Amino acid sequence: MRYAWKEITYEKRKYILIELLLILLMFMVLFLTGLASGLGRDVSSAIDTMDADQFIVDESAEKLITVSAVETGLLDKLRSDGFEAAPLDIQRMHIARPGSSEKLDITYFAIEPGSFAEPEVTEGSPLSESGAGHPILLDDNFKAEGISVGDKVVDPASGYEFTVAGFVKDRMYCHSSVGYISGDCYTELRLAYNPMYQTEYHAIAVKGDKAPDIDTEKYEAVSKHDIIQKIPSYTAEQMTVTMIVWVLVIVSAVIIGIFNYIMTLHKRRQFGVMKAIGLSSAELAGMVICEVCIISVFAGAVSLALTFGMAAGMPEKMPFFLEVPNALIVTAAFIAISVLSSLISVVNISRIDPMIAIGGGDNE
Amino acid sequence: MSEILLELKDICKSYPDGSEKRVILDNVSLSVQAGEFAAVVGPSGSGKSTLLSVAGLLLSPDSGSILIAGKDVTGVSKKERTHIRRRQIGFVFQNHNLIPFLKTEDQLAFVQDKSLKDKIRTDDLLRELGIEKCRRQYPSKMSGGERQRAAIARAFVNDPDIIFADEPTASLDAERGRAVAEMIRAEVKRRGKAAVMVTHDTRILDLTDKVYRIENSRLVTER
Repeated sequence: MRYAWKEITYEKRKYILIELLLILLMFMVLFLTGLASGLGRDVSSAIDTMDADQFIVDESAEKLITVSAVETGLLDKLRSDGFEAAPLDIQRMHIARPGSSEKLDITYFAIEPGSFAEPEVTEGSPLSESGAGHPILLDDNFKAEGISVGDKVVDPASGYEFTVAGFVKDRMYCHSSVGYISGDCYTELRLAYNPMYQTEYHAIAVKGDKAPDIDTEKYEAVSKHDIIQKIPSYTAEQMTVTMIVWVLVIVSAVIIGIFNYIMTLHKRRQFGVMKAIGLSSAELAGMVICEVCIISVFAGAVSLALTFGMAAGMPEKMPFFLEVPNALIVTAAFIAISVLSSLISVVNISRIDPMIAIGGGDNE
Repeated sequence: MSEILLELKDICKSYPDGSEKRVILDNVSLSVQAGEFAAVVGPSGSGKSTLLSVAGLLLSPDSGSILIAGKDVTGVSKKERTHIRRRQIGFVFQNHNLIPFLKTEDQLAFVQDKSLKDKIRTDDLLRELGIEKCRRQYPSKMSGGERQRAAIARAFVNDPDIIFADEPTASLDAERGRAVAEMIRAEVKRRGKAAVMVTHDTRILDLTDKVYRIENSRLVTER
């Protein structure tokens, strides 16, 4: 350790350059990791943060809440069976401010006010405590559109009007900001479009992992994780970005390995001398691995600091969300792969013949 | 003074040379006592380096045996040979071969066995060799003579039985070369070690106790 550090400080310039390169690469990796989970949350956060463990959907819906249909009677049955259950409808539509023609994307989450499906407000009051008619809770993103508590928003096609009761934080579904409304409002809204509309639910959210007693011919209980995986675009997006992240992790680690290998080739004679004067291959390997550890741990630490520093100053709307465990896993993998790639150098060192120290280089 | 620290018995070594076998060492025997400074001379290509490599446990002989401090070390494992090189043998190379990123004191600490810290003191070695001022210098900041003296200090730091010097004066001018050879002699006498120096430089042979010459793959005593 001590001698590895001495070598690094002696060859400062060389090591600073490689450090810079690695920090940039790792920073990019961590940044992409943040974007990946940010994008993921853009798609799933409204489901992910809901205090439910499983969702009952109709068996033919392929785990997709939006195309599922569940009879209202099932809710009462689940509740009488002792489950904590709450109805959920998800509908993507538009809203606009009264008198404005600008349409804003919104995904309605129709819930039962006061149930566990209703998120906590960060501003304003919950649906059940709002005195206004047709209350709606909006995701923070609508604040950036200039909407505030007490404002009216309308469904442009039907003219159905809501009053903004409050705001909630980080509730997105499929890249669209979520608005929470009561099931009654939802029914009225649907009736405005289709007078034949009959109340039913898209899904029923259930707390706890206990399997509910349902007609498995008709219904299916799906875990939250599976529901999220099935949200359109979620899996495809995550796979793409995750793959880029891991390719970059491997590339940066291999760069360390190659750098180290070239250094080793340059130092063949030096290693030969060290072996001749009695240092074992294990000691030399220890030095090389130590050096790689120092370089990679340092690069990892600096890029972590940089990324978290930057995340703190990021604008609200940027889909960036870096979870500490994720960042640490990526960094740890980077360090591990770096050390692994330095094993090429170790093999090379073990093959050096100490004879090269004798006779000024030419083996007589 | 009579203890024999290095003994080579009937060493043979040959290399394949095309389809033939080129004999480099043919039944070479040599013994060096404590406090004795021996020189091996001969034209280049005569097998001096091979002899040094075999005696220094860097190369295995085809036949014959090697005894260090009375112990037969001919067939020992690779790991054991590395250990013997570190503890019982000191090397001084043609080009100092110091480690570029270490200051003189670290060069010594790098190879020194921790248990010898009190017995062989870096201070003493550097003073005896007249390079105390280089203690905290990198090799690149030292003169050729100073570097070679630092290399000598490194060779003695583990209190070895034998010192092998491979053309230690080749990269120095006559005056400095002689000074370096004198240093090796002084340390060998003071610490009672055996030393074998391979050299071209006939002007320093008067500093040695015995001179051997390699001729036609055989070792003959010249003086």
